[in-house]
Amino acid sequence: MFVVELWDDECTKTTFYTVRKDGAKMNETDKFLSKFRKKKGFQQSTRTLTAFILKEIGENYGARPEFFNRPEEGSFGLPPKGSVRIGHIRLEYNKFPLRLYAIRIAEREDLVLLFNGGAKESGTNLGSPELHHVMQEAKTFARKFTEALRDGAIEIDEKTRKLKSADGQNEIVIY
Amino acid sequence: MRSKIAKKILESTSEDELIFVSWYADIVIRIHELLESNGVSQKTLAERMGKTAPEISRWLSGEHNFTLKSLAKLQAELGGTILHIPHKTQFTNAYKSKSTHTVITGINKKRNSDYNEDYYVTEGRPSYSDKLPA
Repeated sequence: MFVVELWDDECTKTTFYTVRKDGAKMNETDKFLSKFRKKKGFQQSTRTLTAFILKEIGENYGARPEFFNRPEEGSFGLPPKGSVRIGHIRLEYNKFPLRLYAIRIAEREDLVLLFNGGAKESGTNLGSPELHHVMQEAKTFARKFTEALRDGAIEIDEKTRKLKSADGQNEIVIY
Repeated sequence: MRSKIAKKILESTSEDELIFVSWYADIVIRIHELLESNGVSQKTLAERMGKTAPEISRWLSGEHNFTLKSLAKLQAELGGTILHIPHKTQFTNAYKSKSTHTVITGINKKRNSDYNEDYYVTEGRPSYSDKLPA
């Protein structure tokens, strides 16, 4: 079980959501930032990535597809209505070391769901076991979230650019 | 509502880091816009530039870090402005002592469409269209 919760709704172009595991004090995206913001060798990359998300995606351009990389390890199907594409925020200049997994909700530019991430230590995710694990988790979150959206358990409020639970509950809980 | 951690990180981000991500985003978007408006695929661009498709893909995502040389090549091939550098004479005498130089991409963020000369001066800096005080 996990909760889908708001991460940032102060940007003009995009609202960001994240996920929090059952019983966890911190959501997955904050866990990622907390870990790397003070880790030697990653401070600047963490600032760059955060600024890129909030300033460029959030304020300037919205979640344009150019800012998200291709799905890693392919995509996994959810017939009959397309597939979930899990990728990371695309900041790849000069061997950028961090990966933060995310999906554009319903392929929209104004709604993004962020997950956890990690440091890429090799050419492939399999060469970075920790990152591989995080990616697998992100895929599960993404799949369950997309199913809930498809089934109508989660709705998008166009007026407020927010997600809401179809059962009227304040929290969006996914099992 | 904003994540407290994200807020703290953003507050500790320097101006040059913010400018960097802004340029990075501008350039990535601008190059993709030019590809689309010219109807050029990444594969075609790769052929024209004597590169492989994966190499071009890495270029377009900025993976190799954009250099003046790579940007010049892309601008030449795509036939649209990627970088615009204002000439000294475009500034008024009133600002001469401030030694301002601004390099930004040819993107108009307000409209996200065609290049607009008026855009390239960022807020708080001498404007291309500023007039001399009376």
